Amino acid sequence: MDISFALVGKGYVIVASDTTAARSIVKMKVDEDKIKVLSPHLLMAYSGEPGDTVQFAEYIERNIRLYTIRNTHALRPPSAASWIRRTLADSLRSRRPYAVNLLIGGYDTSTHTPHLYWVDYLGTMSEVPFGAHGYGAYFGLSLLDRYHDPEAPLEEGLATLRRCLDEVAKRLVVTPEKYKVKVVDKDGVREVEI
Amino acid sequence: MNSFLTRYSSTAPEADIRKAKELYGEDEDFSEVMWGSTGGFGNLASGVPMFKLPSVQDPASFLRMHTDDHADPSCRIKIKHGTTTLAFRFQGGVIVAVDSRATAGSYVASGTVKKVIEINPYLLGTMAGGAADCQYWETYLGIQCRLHELRNRERISVAAASKYLSNLVYSYKGMGLSMGTMICGWDKTGPAIFYVDSDGTRLKGDLFSVGSGSTFAYGVLDQGYRWDLTDEEAQELGRRSIYAAGHRDAFSGNTVNLYHVKQDGWKFIGNYDVSELHYNGPGDVPGAPGGGYGYDIRVAGRTSANPPEGEGQA
Amino acid sequence: MPDGSFAHPQQRQFNPYTDNGGTILAIAGADFTVIAGDTRQSEGYSIQTRYAPKVFRLTDRAVLAVNGFAADGNMFVKKVKQRLEWYRHAHAKDMPLRAIARLIQTMLYAQRFFPYYVYNILGGIEEDGSGAVYSFDPVGSYEREACRAAGAAQSLVQPFLDNQIYFKNQKAAPGTSHPTHLPLSDVLSIVIDSFTSATERHIEVGDGLEIYVVVARGRSPQGIEGIRGVQELSAQPNGDRTFILRRELKKD
Repeated sequence: MDISFALVGKGYVIVASDTTAARSIVKMKVDEDKIKVLSPHLLMAYSGEPGDTVQFAEYIERNIRLYTIRNTHALRPPSAASWIRRTLADSLRSRRPYAVNLLIGGYDTSTHTPHLYWVDYLGTMSEVPFGAHGYGAYFGLSLLDRYHDPEAPLEEGLATLRRCLDEVAKRLVVTPEKYKVKVVDKDGVREVEI
Repeated sequence: MNSFLTRYSSTAPEADIRKAKELYGEDEDFSEVMWGSTGGFGNLASGVPMFKLPSVQDPASFLRMHTDDHADPSCRIKIKHGTTTLAFRFQGGVIVAVDSRATAGSYVASGTVKKVIEINPYLLGTMAGGAADCQYWETYLGIQCRLHELRNRERISVAAASKYLSNLVYSYKGMGLSMGTMICGWDKTGPAIFYVDSDGTRLKGDLFSVGSGSTFAYGVLDQGYRWDLTDEEAQELGRRSIYAAGHRDAFSGNTVNLYHVKQDGWKFIGNYDVSELHYNGPGDVPGAPGGGYGYDIRVAGRTSANPPEGEGQA
Repeated sequence: MPDGSFAHPQQRQFNPYTDNGGTILAIAGADFTVIAGDTRQSEGYSIQTRYAPKVFRLTDRAVLAVNGFAADGNMFVKKVKQRLEWYRHAHAKDMPLRAIARLIQTMLYAQRFFPYYVYNILGGIEEDGSGAVYSFDPVGSYEREACRAAGAAQSLVQPFLDNQIYFKNQKAAPGTSHPTHLPLSDVLSIVIDSFTSATERHIEVGDGLEIYVVVARGRSPQGIEGIRGVQELSAQPNGDRTFILRRELKKD
């Protein structure tokens, strides 16, 4: 099952997701990017039902892009998150809902504030200082309760994320070998090695 | 005739027939294309065909009740299952190799199935899961690829073809389709493989194996795989991997079908009997080391006994 | 509930299928095809009728055998015949065999989510004059083969055919090789033996046997006209020719 983490620090959000695509007991792919860059200052990590995940993420990606083109200005993170949550909630009440869990991280350039939203497939959303989906949550959340610092500089934030990934590697029976980590801050989105 | 107009008009004679049909409940939707030269697939070219559904609360569970031999081995309609298929990209193009066994429960329904579907001279699809689902939808994909060529004066890319299939099966998600396929080909970007399954998953990659015997195929394939394999080495690796699955997985076997995709399209390399591979190998084939693939044949005459010097058989 | 009360929870199950037993088989020769089926129709341990044909002549060069759920089977054959008639009206000729095979695939697959419970075997002569057999699963996957058995006794008959037609697990005498195609008389013997044996060992097989033989145009019918009880069905003797041969099977 997919594992994803995200946390907020001083002026940035880090979003991390494993890179395996599995079917039954087989890893079909080990370098799949499961974090979409929705706009210059917005990231979305997605996981859940195979098929639904990519279909939903591409739908969101294209609609956010359409908004940006129409308005020559990207949707700010709180509005984007609300719209994405609403899309998921409407889908939940349709004949065949998308079963997708999300972590939406963004940097609001007008208020100079990083935002992180935890969203599950039921359309539950909450703004959080850190969040996780999948089995990683069982190990990572308590750890983050203990070690997370909202004012930590990027290096320290990445070190905290490292702690989460190490703990998962140490205690979870089946662990992913690789993670993709992306950071969003005032300068936009970039990928970092960890 | 503008069929769009007639379909939605309320005055044309067709509309009267349509109303009558609605009133009396015609049991099948006959369309004009069923008459003409398009008698078979004609209704397909004009769009996704209509399917009849049972009048029950949940058609998907109805279908599962009667066709899922995993949940209920005594179910009536046994849809053919069980497979090993593989495809990998390398310096010299794409190798596609499959077995040829179809099983219905524990009965070997056929040992001569063509699990590589020749979509067109540049595209191959593989068959795992429901035989009919793969055969039908990949034939249908072939039609759509041809229409793309006629409309755009350009061959469809492997990415686009696979996405067409992926979106199509995704629209039937939860209805009981079962397919795990690799769309392989050569386009402007070079050799390409996409894994597409009935969950709606679509993955681009260098190396995939699908089916009940895939783990066994991976075991040999992953260890022997390099990007700079020669054509002969690559073909041998594909053949050897399917043999391994045919030997270890009861639901796979009979024969191996081997294809090689290059810039100028795919080429059928050969059909190899798994038992023959076990005892005698593929015969006089470039890249094959000679001799059988079977463990006992490979290690014949070798022993792990390690008696000290001077002892043992004098 | 009719009285409006909900005293007892009710569960309904929709089961529109049954298995009517029987067996069919087809073998392709170089320039002929033999398609056969028994005529017993049963449900469980009861025999419903001793004469219910499972093999049907579609065109001058195509014969379809249908096994499984008889109601679905008869309906399906009826619809295939209808589509072939429409084709005849539109094109003033019979549909070629490989096209009929593809038509049957699309017709079966149209019922993918509410399948016909039928196993089809199509036999006949291709446009190039060769004998051909196409076998289908209930939802339309198909394949051209040299021989195929389906139905209740397929697991008894198919291994016998593998041995006698494909010479599986047989070794040719030194200096000789197995023939690729058998003569008609050998094929007919194999078919009749298959059914008498299946009748002995399977309770759902028996009563009667109907054997259709399609011979390519201009080819010798290999003495079939001399066989006891043979009846020719073809309209004109210079085209592909269809013969039917009936035999009794044990009735216990």
